[in-house]
Amino acid sequence: MHGRVKVRTTEEERARKEKERQEKLKVYKHAMQKIFHKREEGELDKELLELTGKVLSSNPDIYTLWNIRREILIIFQKNDDNEELSQLYDAELHLTEYCLKINPKSYCAWHQREWVLTTRADPNWEKELALCNTYLKLDERNFHTWDYRRFVVRQFKPSLKDEFDYTTEKLMDNFSNYSAWHYRSKLLVELYPDLEGGRPIEDSHHKHELKMVQSAAFTDPDDTSAWFYQRWVLGAVRTDIDVAVFVVSPLKTTIAFSRPVNQAFVASKTRLFFGNELVNGEWQSLTGPQYDVLWVLKHNAEITEGLDVKMEYDREDENIQIIPTTKYNSNTYIGKGEINFEKKYSKPVVEELNNQLEACRQLLAMEPDNKWTLLTTTVFLHCIDAKQYHKETIENLHTLKSIDNLRAGYYDDLITKWSIEEQLIEDYKKDSLDFKIMFEDKVSSLPHLQYYSHCENVDLSNQNLTSNILPALELLQNCKKLSLENNQLTTLKGFPNLNLEELNLKGNSDLVEEVELFKERCNYSVIF
Amino acid sequence: MDDDLPTDFQVIVVGTGMVESIVAAACSRIGKNVLHLDSSDHYGGLWASYNFDGLQKFIKEVNSDPKRQLQVYNLAEKWYIEKESAQDEKKEEGEEKPEEAKPEPGKKVWSQANFTAEYRKFNIDMTPKLLFSRGPLVELLISSNIARYAEFRCVTRVLTWLSDKLMPVPCSRADVFATEAVGIVEKRQLMKMLTSIVGYNEEEMNNEFKDWNDKTFKEYLAHKGLTPNLIHYVLYAIAGGTDTMPCLEGVKECKKFLMSLGRYGNTPFLWPMYGSGELPQCFCRLCAVFGGVYCLNRPIDKVQTLTVDEGKEVVTIESKSKTLKCDHLVIGINECPKDLISPEPAESSDISKAVFITNGSIMKSDKEPLTLLRFPPLNDGDHSVTVLEVGPATGSCPKGLFVVYFITNKVKDAESDLMGIAEKIFDMSGGDQTEETDKPKCLWSLFYNVKDTSAPVKSTTGAVHVCSGPDAGLDFDRAVEQAEQIFKKICPGEEFLPRAPDPEEIVFEDDVTHGPEFTRDQDDDDAPKE
Repeated sequence: MHGRVKVRTTEEERARKEKERQEKLKVYKHAMQKIFHKREEGELDKELLELTGKVLSSNPDIYTLWNIRREILIIFQKNDDNEELSQLYDAELHLTEYCLKINPKSYCAWHQREWVLTTRADPNWEKELALCNTYLKLDERNFHTWDYRRFVVRQFKPSLKDEFDYTTEKLMDNFSNYSAWHYRSKLLVELYPDLEGGRPIEDSHHKHELKMVQSAAFTDPDDTSAWFYQRWVLGAVRTDIDVAVFVVSPLKTTIAFSRPVNQAFVASKTRLFFGNELVNGEWQSLTGPQYDVLWVLKHNAEITEGLDVKMEYDREDENIQIIPTTKYNSNTYIGKGEINFEKKYSKPVVEELNNQLEACRQLLAMEPDNKWTLLTTTVFLHCIDAKQYHKETIENLHTLKSIDNLRAGYYDDLITKWSIEEQLIEDYKKDSLDFKIMFEDKVSSLPHLQYYSHCENVDLSNQNLTSNILPALELLQNCKKLSLENNQLTTLKGFPNLNLEELNLKGNSDLVEEVELFKERCNYSVIF
Repeated sequence: MDDDLPTDFQVIVVGTGMVESIVAAACSRIGKNVLHLDSSDHYGGLWASYNFDGLQKFIKEVNSDPKRQLQVYNLAEKWYIEKESAQDEKKEEGEEKPEEAKPEPGKKVWSQANFTAEYRKFNIDMTPKLLFSRGPLVELLISSNIARYAEFRCVTRVLTWLSDKLMPVPCSRADVFATEAVGIVEKRQLMKMLTSIVGYNEEEMNNEFKDWNDKTFKEYLAHKGLTPNLIHYVLYAIAGGTDTMPCLEGVKECKKFLMSLGRYGNTPFLWPMYGSGELPQCFCRLCAVFGGVYCLNRPIDKVQTLTVDEGKEVVTIESKSKTLKCDHLVIGINECPKDLISPEPAESSDISKAVFITNGSIMKSDKEPLTLLRFPPLNDGDHSVTVLEVGPATGSCPKGLFVVYFITNKVKDAESDLMGIAEKIFDMSGGDQTEETDKPKCLWSLFYNVKDTSAPVKSTTGAVHVCSGPDAGLDFDRAVEQAEQIFKKICPGEEFLPRAPDPEEIVFEDDVTHGPEFTRDQDDDDAPKE
């Protein structure tokens, strides 16, 4: 067998590799020992930099070593030799770059790089941006790099338009890229705010994004990144904070908002008047968090018969809204705000939405059981005219529940939310202190409950409520009679402190043992 | 002529075409003693790439040798530019209209003399072909480790001719997303069709297509509700078919195309740098590395087979008054004496080809494109035409030029088969090269017909293996397949091109008895090794 090529067998190769590994391990252990010894001795010098550097270049994720390096660099900062310091920083950047080649998702290497650039006096941001480009070329979905890119852009402030175009370029290569879509959404609101209408994005760009994301969604409906972005684009409309309802009674004064607000907001934007008299007092959140949907006013003003109670609210569009009240029995005055869950799209955007709805309907005719097409159709319907299409959207959600059973709970929640929104419009037209679920679908959650915070008689019987919702009932601050009959409560833990007169817990068989104890604790009648 | 060429080999390969070269490499790789001959002074035979000078020589040789016209005929070369650089004339013109005559920067005025001067920058293929990124040749190049002898570029786009203009074909996911040529519902339809074709397993395949055996692919696509636009893309551009393409074949072709997406670039194809003629040479190189002996410029005169004891056959070859002996002769069809072929191969339709050199791409693009254009049949009964456009980045031509290949099945002759299409995408009128036109100017063209020798042929004896010539197809798959079959006959039970070791894996014979291991001094062991 002369002149034949002889190759190592796999057995020999394995032995060689194992030997190499053992060798590496020995070197590693030795180096680590030496590093910690030096640190204990306080020898924070260049030798230690070199030692840690060597270990890191094969094991970039030992954050302790990065910390030691920062300690050393901070000592060198105190020297006057700027040139030497600059060289040290350069070397540090070089090392992180090397380490990131080994592990592009090394948190500590990225962090070290950020630290160097924010610490040194002469950072070269342009180079950093170029580095991001290189790394994103190698892996366009590395969120570490995207994160770092946003950091660099914040400091360097390059043309945002260029950054925006960069996301377009990356998405054209591969649109399954949450990071690129996300960055795009951040840039859009900065680059193209709608100055006139006060919407987050200017109309033509809003339309363009809708088109672009639709193209992605229909190219690959199984790719969720496009759908998430589409939801963002559809949701990118201004929603003002509104007053839902306020109640002034001898017992308490409460105000509910459409969204959580903080105390400063309530105190500065709302003014309660008895006649022409401004009521002074302190706003407290119902449950204690900084942001809350329901606030209570502690005041000393006397509530009497025949008061003219009204509220002034400084709306976000800078108009002042005057909310009058209606008097109910026993000196209770209630003022309701406007119900406005509809998204306010501009006309061109609505046109685009209608176009897209049409495309969806065509697709749906071809593949009636396609989950994403049906869901998108449904979202479009809801966004275009929730009231007009209410019946169809609910039917669609029922279909979705059966074809996409894994997410049945999600669709249930949507049904509940959109149905409550529908019911609220009717309920707010009536002068009633009753709240009862009026639609067929059973609810398992209680969205928008603060809108019913004025109700005295709340009937939540025959639903699918579990004990998880109990804490949320605290929003029913003015409730006297509450029925949770025939639900799926398993415990009364978390039941809030309410001034009830009657609580109906019938038909929740799991509560048998707890109810007796509960009855002893509360001062209202509990029916079981 | 006396030389010190040994005379006894296990395998002698005559001709350095694709099939021959793969067989030579495979035999040599497993330790067979191989001699590889070629009658001409270059590798590749009909698979070769030529520089401009070599091509001129080739044309001259063929035109003056009626024997060679059995393989290649109807050669028609034409220039569309001046012999000498027209600088003087230019100046005169310049006086008349000083503004327009100035060539814009980058748009050079080419003369025939320029081509001659820069002849080495051309690599013009006689058999231009692409590799499917997941096709058998790419897999073979990787698994055999021969890929390191070659470089490739990704084909950047696939075009088609639709509604009387060139259109990019959305073939990948990214393309479908980005294109504005198809509507949103069409995008969904197209993606659905493509993903379902890729996704079918055998059972689903049989189920879906059980009633489609005798129907066309076009009928199937129409049945699936695809719009005429989409049918065009899928049928002509992705499957590379015609209206009569059988359904199952269309599905198979589509699948092959789609399976190769997303491995290297945005299209399923690779193009070998410096031309397809490089590929046979890569295999020859491996053959030589494992001890194969090479001898170009070595025509053979006579082949005989002898039966020696126990029925074993020996093939003897007379070449330059020397007698070479081997157990197996592997021979290209064009080199093979007629009496060894049995039965006589059936008449097949030949191939019409053309090469054009132009001063710009058929469709402008930001970066230098590398294009596959599949031209659907212009009239009923015509064949589709494969067009490949390669630029300077592939090492095919000097900067500023493009080489464009046309390939189709012959109907009449190359020129009449292909001129109609050339006129659609090139400006064939000659004239001022600096003129702004929407089509690139054709500067030079060559039409020719090639005999289709791609059908496998049997020889009269088991010791002689005849290799087919190039086919009209897009890829090298049939050549790879045939080479493997021939190898299996010569070396039954042996592995076909096992991975060749990298240099660092090789243990040299002298090295077998190791010296004392290098060990590090324990005390010195404080610096970590990288």
